[in-house]
Amino acid sequence: MHYERTIRPIRLYRTNRATLPPVRWLEELADRLGAARAHRFGHGDHDHGESATDAEADVLAAIRERAGEIHETLAHDHGVFAVEFVGSTGGGKTKLIEELLERAPTDEQIGAIVGDVAGEDDATRLREYGIPVENVNTGKECHLDPGGIETALSAFDLEELDTLYVENVGNMVCPADFPLGATVRVLVVSTTEGDDVVAKHPLLVQKCDAAVVNKVDLAEAVGTDLDRVRADLARVAPDVPVFETDASSGAGVDELGDFLESKRGEHGHHGHDHEHDRVHHPGE
Amino acid sequence: MHEISVASGILDRAITAAEEHGADRIDAITIEIGRATHVNPEQLVFCLETIADGTAGEGATVRTETVDPVAVCDCGWRDEPDDLGLVGGFAPDVRCPECGERTELVRGRECRLASIEVPEAGDRTEQTATQER
Ligand SMILES: [Zn+2]
Repeated sequence: MHYERTIRPIRLYRTNRATLPPVRWLEELADRLGAARAHRFGHGDHDHGESATDAEADVLAAIRERAGEIHETLAHDHGVFAVEFVGSTGGGKTKLIEELLERAPTDEQIGAIVGDVAGEDDATRLREYGIPVENVNTGKECHLDPGGIETALSAFDLEELDTLYVENVGNMVCPADFPLGATVRVLVVSTTEGDDVVAKHPLLVQKCDAAVVNKVDLAEAVGTDLDRVRADLARVAPDVPVFETDASSGAGVDELGDFLESKRGEHGHHGHDHEHDRVHHPGE
Repeated sequence: MHEISVASGILDRAITAAEEHGADRIDAITIEIGRATHVNPEQLVFCLETIADGTAGEGATVRTETVDPVAVCDCGWRDEPDDLGLVGGFAPDVRCPECGERTELVRGRECRLASIEVPEAGDRTEQTATQER
């Protein structure tokens, strides 16, 4: 597996162990037989101060914190409205972004970050719209992470940018644990993924601000019960607005665009409600 | 599926903690994994054991504990939320059973290094400060 080794290797045994005095040697033997100290990392309910390690003991919380910093940089320092799209490969994320680009006012400065395990296909498609696009190849990683976004952001002039579209790697599992700091996260499922796609990936659905059911025109042809998809969305994430689109013809995209614009307005420098750790809210 | 990056984060922290305790070997690592995450315990253990080779964590016993979600509501309700009873997946109900408002998960979304065990050996004068924390 692709893995950047960041751990400093530590020698297990002192090279001069053989010369240790007998008492020390006995101590070491005792250690190996089980006499051990345990350090429990606090939940913050200890009466002593936590060490730096304690505070970082939750790696997923650290990732959420990092996403929060990206959100601060984008939304609050530079006024960039970032929209992330998550969903399976082939669900229509790129096509939806293209449809939104078609509808964007000419003076809107838009950029895009596209995550893919390999290749530039999606990035190339979006570049045809004359916008700056950063392609992030994640290698064997299955999702974009805040670190990858941070690197990609250095390629943009954030002062100039009004909107940033982020297309995550096609994956409905991992992004649930890896928020990226976008103001709005849009889930894209398509009817061709079957009518149980929502029930199979509920944690990701709960981490989104809007759900798009795409390719509704194909539902009947592929035998997908749209009512089941709707019911599952309502049960898993009752507050998440749902948009039904056929991105190939552009049907339903206007409604999604209007919703996104309303979020841009809501989420300015003022009146920002920071409900970021609500169960269903991804903005962390 | 992202167990490798999570494992490397956990191992990093375990090694730092061992250093803080003046230990150059880790005997055991316990990890708490929230149910409302997609971290797979078996895969995480496997990844951690693999990348620990050649570090102070080599050979450490790796244990995982599952953390059930705990939700709180502005109305004062705090409890384990209902799971939605989905066949294919798990998700907590995001609504408060008392007042119907949205709740917030305060537990269940973590993947945290819960404890490490290190040898009782070494320079005792250095250890008194950090022992039995
Ligand atoms: Zn309540």
